[in-house]
Amino acid sequence: MDRRRFLKLAGAGVVAGLATSGCEAGGPSGARSLDRPDLLTALAPERVRAIGARYRRMVAGERDAGSLRSALLGPHTLRSRLPWLSPTVGQRIHDDFERGDTVVVDGWILSVTEARQCALFSLLPA
Amino acid sequence: MHTDARTLESGSVLEGDLCIVGAGAAGISLALEWIGAKERVLLLEGGGFDYDPKLQDLYRGDIVGLPYFPLQAARLHYFGGTTGHWAGFCSTFDAHDFEVRDWVPHSGWPITRAELDPFYVRAQKVLDLGPNEWLAAAWQRRDPALVPFPLDPRVAWTKMWQFSPPARYGTQYRGAIVGAPNVHLYTHANVCEVEASEGLRAVEGLRVRTFEGKEYRVRARRYVLACSTIQNARLLLASNRRATNGLGNAHDLVGRYFMEHLEMPSGYLATTAVPMPSTRMYAYEFGKTKARGEIALSAGEQKARRILNATVSLEPGSLDQPGESTFQAMPPKAVETMRAGGPGAAPDRAPRPPDARRTFHLLTRQEQAPNPDSRVTLSPERDALGMPRARLDWRLTELDRRSFRSFYEVLGREMGRSGVGRLRMRDWVLESIDSAWPGFLGGGWHHMGTTRMHPDPRRGVVDPDCRVHGLANLYVAGAAVYPTAGCVNPTLTLVALSLRLSDHLKSTRA
Repeated sequence: MDRRRFLKLAGAGVVAGLATSGCEAGGPSGARSLDRPDLLTALAPERVRAIGARYRRMVAGERDAGSLRSALLGPHTLRSRLPWLSPTVGQRIHDDFERGDTVVVDGWILSVTEARQCALFSLLPA
Repeated sequence: MHTDARTLESGSVLEGDLCIVGAGAAGISLALEWIGAKERVLLLEGGGFDYDPKLQDLYRGDIVGLPYFPLQAARLHYFGGTTGHWAGFCSTFDAHDFEVRDWVPHSGWPITRAELDPFYVRAQKVLDLGPNEWLAAAWQRRDPALVPFPLDPRVAWTKMWQFSPPARYGTQYRGAIVGAPNVHLYTHANVCEVEASEGLRAVEGLRVRTFEGKEYRVRARRYVLACSTIQNARLLLASNRRATNGLGNAHDLVGRYFMEHLEMPSGYLATTAVPMPSTRMYAYEFGKTKARGEIALSAGEQKARRILNATVSLEPGSLDQPGESTFQAMPPKAVETMRAGGPGAAPDRAPRPPDARRTFHLLTRQEQAPNPDSRVTLSPERDALGMPRARLDWRLTELDRRSFRSFYEVLGREMGRSGVGRLRMRDWVLESIDSAWPGFLGGGWHHMGTTRMHPDPRRGVVDPDCRVHGLANLYVAGAAVYPTAGCVNPTLTLVALSLRLSDHLKSTRA
């Protein structure tokens, strides 16, 4: 096997393996982190739920779990399927603030990512 | 020396080299500098050594603009002045506070922060402050438990405050003033008119009245008005025997540009970092805290956003607790009746342990944009001594309102980016800038700007030496000369300016 063919096969194998294993945000553990915003360390669950509900009312296209998960996971690029390349939720939140990708919900200045997390959280049974 | 002016014969003439009108922070700081000099200094105080409601009532006035608390509650009319109930908050103006900012109309001082620095050092001693250290890092070196938030200095920073014990001039400096052989304090000596020479080129004397119906004159070579921002303007406007519009008012500027600090509950902070970041740097306990930090935006960020300067303090509190403006926290009756060192001399707030909670109330202290329509004029009503009362027309602008919102948008983003926590704006901050100010609109009881400093007599009442334009021997001391308000309590800066004025007067003595 020449080097070029080896690299092609190796690369394809990695991608195929990952496609079924689930990435950080989309796999079983990722699902938990997606709908458990870090804001819960500071704010009561009812307040986080209220923020999430308000966000869902504000953003027409992000009112159900499916659309919120899609928005959180972003487009299905190769990067989003590679756990070691994909940023953690915490990093995404940091990047949101860095870029100014923020949203004001009920007066709270939140990263868009965590606002979506709150919205997902608000869909969970209380 | 001290004389109670009520004991003087009516028609007396008091003579000296320098006459200081008003024995508050500015007047006493100035007078202290002259102890032992060869000049004879007259220090005139309208009140006595103790609080007297009858004398305090001389400060009553009309409020015709935005709601403001009774003027007689805002300044103390006795020896020591408002230091009798101040809380001792001190910090320095920022360098950019002195600069012309093209987005802040009428901004810019004719002096720089660097020129004022040596006087800040001297003023710190007068006010019993700590070392000349105003950087958070310097205080952290002194006490490693004081840890500033890890903010990006290009965006936001921790601005340091120091706290005077607080220095109550009325008790602290009474002995020095009364014991000085060349400084003669007259209490119960209310100046009702500044008498100008024919041609309005100089002041010839002052007319003084007492409640007992006595009237006498004061003559000095030079005069300094140091009787507070509103009363200085009132006195100049009421001195209209030879100048119809009042003294120093050829360009209709006396009384204009009245400024306050907008002290408003504006938001909340919920700390999210695990473990919780130390907030001891930002904690305050009256009478115990020597220094603490507040959060400010960088000069660059203010410029980029075209907003006013402000700082925000943190006070532990729940997210459901309503906030109080300074006016609400210190109702006028309490302020009015405060006595030096007596009950109520400190804000009536129970001390809260630092680091006890994760959520904080954010109280903003924002400069007010200079506004010529925000002004002090004379009321048709006269006080018990026959002098027209002051009328305050306090007005704010769109820039004042917009700055709050922008400040919090930037700070909220930086708090999130730095991992400190999440910030929530109060409803009134979120409202349109066209909305009315909320009912709890409040200031810091800080009065500034009615005789602003500018080298051009068409744009300022006093020149860079604090001399009233056009009058050779009349000066103003105090926060009345501020062209802009900065975002810190005015006392430290007004004391520094008084010391600077003193040096000027000494360097120009005949």
